[in-house]
Amino acid sequence: MISQVFILTTSGDHLIYKDFRGEAGVDAIRTFYEAVTALSGDQPPVVMSHKGMHFVHVKQGGLYWAASTKSNPSPFTVIEFLNRLAALTKDYCGSLSEKSVRMNFALIYELLDEMVDYGYIQTTSTDMLKNFIQTETMSSKPFSLFELGNVGLFGAETQQSKVAPSAATSRPLMFTRGDQGGNEIFVDVIERLSVIIGSNGVVMKADIEGEIRVKCYLPGCSEMRIGLNEELSIGKSQLRGYGMAVRMDECSFHQAVKLDEFDAYRILKICPSQGEQTVMQYQLCDDLPCAPPFRLFPTVERDIGNRLLIYLKLRCDLSPKSVALNVSVTLPIPKGSVSLSQELSSPDQSAELQSKNKALQWDIPRFPGGAQLSALFKLEVPGLSSASLQEVGPVSLCFELPKHTCTGLQVRFLRLTPTQPGSSQRWVRYVTHSDSYTIRI
Amino acid sequence: MTDSKYFTTTKKGEIFELKAELNSDKKEKKKEAVKKVIASMTVGKDVSALFPDVVNCMQTDNLELKKLVYLYLMNYAKSQPDMAIMAVNTFVKDCEDPNPLIRALAVRTMGCIRVDKITEYLCEPLRKCLKDEDPYVRKTAAVCVAKLHDINAQLVEDQGFLDTLKDLISDSNPMVVANAVAALSEIAESHPNSNLLDLNPQSINKLLTALNECTEWGQIFILDCLANYTPRDDRESQSICERVTPRLSHANSAVVLSAVKVLMKFMEMLPKDLDYYGTLLKKLAPPLVTLLSAEPELQYVALRNINLIVQKRPEILKHEMKVFFVKYNDPIYVKLEKLDIMIRLASQANIAQVLAELKEYATEVDVDFVRKAVRAIGRCAIKVEQSAERCVSTLLDLIQTKVNYVVQEAIVVIKDIFRKYPNKYESVIATLCENLDSLDEPEARAAMIWIVGEYAERIDNADELLESFLEGFHDESTQVQLQLLTAIVKLFLKKPTETQELVQQVLSLATQDSDNPDLRDRGYIYWRLLSTDPVAAKEVVLAEKPLISEETDLIEPTLLDELICHIGTLASVYHKPPSAFVEGSRGVQHKRLPARAGSGESTESPDVGQSVGGADAPPAVIPSQGDLLGDLLNLDLAPPATTVPAVPASMQMGAMDLLGGGLDSLMGDESETHNIHQRMESPSPQSLSEYSHPELGGDIGGSPAIGAGMGAPPAVMPASLNAAVGGGLGDLFDLGGGVGMPTGAFIPPKTLWLPAMKAKGLEISGTFARRSGVLQMDLSLTNKALSVMSDFAIQFNRNSFGLAPAGPLQVLTPLTPNQTIDVALPLSTVGPIMKMEPLTNLQVAVKNNIDVFYFSCQYPISILFVEDGKMDRQVFLATWKDIPNDNEAQFQIKDCHLNSDAATNKLQSSNIFTIAKRTVDGQDMLYQSIKLTNGIWILAELRVQAGSPNYVLSVKCRASEVSQFVYQCYELVLKN
Repeated sequence: MISQVFILTTSGDHLIYKDFRGEAGVDAIRTFYEAVTALSGDQPPVVMSHKGMHFVHVKQGGLYWAASTKSNPSPFTVIEFLNRLAALTKDYCGSLSEKSVRMNFALIYELLDEMVDYGYIQTTSTDMLKNFIQTETMSSKPFSLFELGNVGLFGAETQQSKVAPSAATSRPLMFTRGDQGGNEIFVDVIERLSVIIGSNGVVMKADIEGEIRVKCYLPGCSEMRIGLNEELSIGKSQLRGYGMAVRMDECSFHQAVKLDEFDAYRILKICPSQGEQTVMQYQLCDDLPCAPPFRLFPTVERDIGNRLLIYLKLRCDLSPKSVALNVSVTLPIPKGSVSLSQELSSPDQSAELQSKNKALQWDIPRFPGGAQLSALFKLEVPGLSSASLQEVGPVSLCFELPKHTCTGLQVRFLRLTPTQPGSSQRWVRYVTHSDSYTIRI
Repeated sequence: MTDSKYFTTTKKGEIFELKAELNSDKKEKKKEAVKKVIASMTVGKDVSALFPDVVNCMQTDNLELKKLVYLYLMNYAKSQPDMAIMAVNTFVKDCEDPNPLIRALAVRTMGCIRVDKITEYLCEPLRKCLKDEDPYVRKTAAVCVAKLHDINAQLVEDQGFLDTLKDLISDSNPMVVANAVAALSEIAESHPNSNLLDLNPQSINKLLTALNECTEWGQIFILDCLANYTPRDDRESQSICERVTPRLSHANSAVVLSAVKVLMKFMEMLPKDLDYYGTLLKKLAPPLVTLLSAEPELQYVALRNINLIVQKRPEILKHEMKVFFVKYNDPIYVKLEKLDIMIRLASQANIAQVLAELKEYATEVDVDFVRKAVRAIGRCAIKVEQSAERCVSTLLDLIQTKVNYVVQEAIVVIKDIFRKYPNKYESVIATLCENLDSLDEPEARAAMIWIVGEYAERIDNADELLESFLEGFHDESTQVQLQLLTAIVKLFLKKPTETQELVQQVLSLATQDSDNPDLRDRGYIYWRLLSTDPVAAKEVVLAEKPLISEETDLIEPTLLDELICHIGTLASVYHKPPSAFVEGSRGVQHKRLPARAGSGESTESPDVGQSVGGADAPPAVIPSQGDLLGDLLNLDLAPPATTVPAVPASMQMGAMDLLGGGLDSLMGDESETHNIHQRMESPSPQSLSEYSHPELGGDIGGSPAIGAGMGAPPAVMPASLNAAVGGGLGDLFDLGGGVGMPTGAFIPPKTLWLPAMKAKGLEISGTFARRSGVLQMDLSLTNKALSVMSDFAIQFNRNSFGLAPAGPLQVLTPLTPNQTIDVALPLSTVGPIMKMEPLTNLQVAVKNNIDVFYFSCQYPISILFVEDGKMDRQVFLATWKDIPNDNEAQFQIKDCHLNSDAATNKLQSSNIFTIAKRTVDGQDMLYQSIKLTNGIWILAELRVQAGSPNYVLSVKCRASEVSQFVYQCYELVLKN
């Protein structure tokens, strides 16, 4: 049972404080703030305990969203709840920031009152909540379509956003209040890729975690049908269709999704609530349908004196039509390294020595499929020994693959019923992110 | 509208301005004003002065304004109870409003106003709302019952709200069902023995139906409630599992974990050969793996849970090793947890893969992680014998890197490998010795010294090596000093001729120049051993060591079972039972896994042994007897258990205390387990050992009687030592707070009955005793508040055996802050009688000048056994036959190593009288009688099989409900 919920700024100002059970006083906030700021990096920030109070918090939008409890509740429940609370706040207030929370405190109190009663979570669904909420949103500035272009998925600045307006992050939902927002619906297929490639070039582990997210601004949409690849097979043994099947090991669905047509036709039926929701999550372990997008051919040599030569050849195995963006290669180097000189193949790339993390970072803003880039790094390492060679590696890569899913999952169609009058816009977007892409040397 | 509007700093007259605005005629202005008031409230300003003005705004038909006013009321009503009454009328009126939103709002808010005067007015509206036509109102009212119960439990019972709430479980609306379940579950927790939630197959069926229809949060309430149910048989268990399984694919991880909890618990009842059991195992893996794709915080919580699940049922995840491989961008706390699970899952099948990973990890940058990875390699070697060789060579490779902390960790684990596989890998010693100089951490130094001492005969310059350590003897940590002492004694016993000087040097350093009692005691023991009987010394010091076990940091099984019942809660993150961190009665109930079906097994289930009276004590991992003795011989060779990150403090302490524990074990077996136990529980464990050891040392050093005792062959030594010091020891152990050696009837150690948090600073712990026919309640009153306490008085509620204070509570002087007073309160058994649940429950009220406090405790039934409980043989026979067989209860008492005579004597001192003894086929049958203070006779038959530690106890009594307690009392008496 949740005892209190509070929202704090990083400097400890109280934005929202709601006590549900009268078990503890306001000073719990200070206790929490002291505890959370005293955390060191290697302590799990999940649950903190202080004098019989237990605090669970998440950090979103630069704010602490915290809940305290005196009993033995499920931390999963509390974390999930706090995440939903943040998401709802975002849905209602348009964006998540100190400012938007401050301006809409009455609304958030009202939301909290409906979401939690005496510490029991009641509901977090926008459909249910909109029946109860009276307060109107205060938006900091009028909503403008032009600004959408700058904000990418997950709030990151991406090239992607030039392709389509992204998951419209800064717009409050206009419940019941007509059509100012335009009729738009966004369906995002997002995958995160984790790969470990051994020093011999063999893929040791490859996982994909994916999800389909829907953000809906349609006022009167009763049902939406999302058609996925018909040859999609689920589980290790199932086989569907001929040739290259799209496969996943496990999937789970939002509880509003109706699955009666899923088994036969791979159609998800859903009555979308306004706002953002994850409709389906899935994962695939080990058996990737295609080769991992990057391969690396490294050479590490000891040059004369205390110099270390590192030659990296990086190959992108995507089809030539695809492109990888914001590729960043990080390579741990020996502790004592003092200077770096590099030879890169094009001027838009850059490389630098990060002495804090003992690593060198090589950034490639745009990497076309099928291309191969190479770079030579010369490191000055005083007191270089054979043991320091062992400190080199493994290489980790961060990147983003727009318009690409590693599982091959596609949205075949998106049908809305009743047919939307006027100009409803439907956006389907795909993106793959690197989660943890490691290549050992 | 600017954002700073609500949050401007308080200026003088701001309250005044607000007041004016609140009384404005314009609705909009009023609303803005209330908003401003609430904004001030949020940032912590006191706006309670506006109470009457805000309450005036309450009568409005604007829902938004009403909500704001209610928000304000909830916050300030408590500080202005008289004013709050003003609002009651509106509340009552709102509860009749045609708009269900307003009805629900009113009943919700009233419940949150924790003012006694208001609760009276709440009853009627609440009753109506519980039967409201609108489900939204009903579900709000259901929660309100829980709120009211928290404020005034008696009122709720008197008004019959609990029954109404029970009816709501069958409501047609799943949301109402879920809230009713949540409210009932919480109320039931504060009444552990009431049958509020009356779970039976029918109600379970209803819950399962509601499960499919309600919101995700409602599903959690229902699943958590299901987890408390114990199915009648494996069939029912299976059918519940089948209906819960679909929840595993829910997107909300909290739902998944609650479902996992139910399944893990009910699986316990399924026979393992059942096909369905295998199916279920397979179904559990994917959702657990899915949890690992969440944010790091959720991942961490998931990993802590998986850690428990893997310990309980490793087969679930045995094929999923790869998902626990560490990602480079995992936060360190996730990495460490993953590593822990990897080792638990390591087996012959996947060891090659695991080792390859671990080797990679050992070259990463993060020091803590690297250390743990190195230790993990060692643990793999110990766990999977086939891999030992590869592990050792991997470790040697790592030592070659010369990275300081890697080398040190490697040496610590290699020591363990040596112990596990003696005489197999000693060829690497030379390499280890090369790194002697780089070791600067005590643990690594101690490990290295142990290796040198253990293999002194193979290391040519062992004496030089050890001598080099000796130079800075006083600067070393205790761990290293102890180890050095032992190693040099070993060396001396192996190479007596060359090292005489060295051993004398170290003995004098340890005994004369050291302030450390542990070190001094050990020095003395060696000294006497060596000087009286070198052969015996050799046998003792160079004795064969017990092998170390494979899994060293497993959670103790009973604790594990309890934690499994708490999967998905905070307990599973802390790996502590809820009673350890939840205050008050909530969560103190110990949950148990249901026993597996099948009659043969049920009596053997570990639960039976666990139900000893002391079940309230937090379970602690107690090293078995063998380990302790082994460690005395080995002195300080901490088992590799120190690698556990979760309990480093206590484990470390265990290692420090080994000598202490070991010495105590020489003194007397009974006290030893107690001592350790005590040490683990007591808040300042160190103090006990500090307290007792100087004296112990003094005794050993000084008494000539012991000197003589030392001359005896080592095997006899413990006994003779015991006899010699036995008398003095009684006092010594009494210092530890009631863990003394029992001289008469067994008196359980004092337990905490009333924590200071709940009683405004008064802490009460206590126990019950029967001393020469007089019943006493021994109380320790501690004042943890800042002011003096006085005017103490005590009263008991009616109870099963009519216990009542026989005199006033004798606290003559006021209790000053931080003072503790021990009081013995004589008891009589002529008080009013009411049957309690459990039978031996006693509710106590203690008053002082501050307030009245209530707590409840349980007394051992043995205090009620009267002195004249010896029955005539003939009467015994007749009575035994007379009592119907249905009243006979049979129990097993396990691991009791007394022979029948010793048992007889022990029991007799607790007024359990043996009337006759019969021996059949080497089995002693003891016939015993007990009489309770209220004249009830209990007859018992105790069967003792020579050579077997398990006794069988049959209890017959006309009042069969006491049997369970009699059994507990047998357990306690025989084992203490």
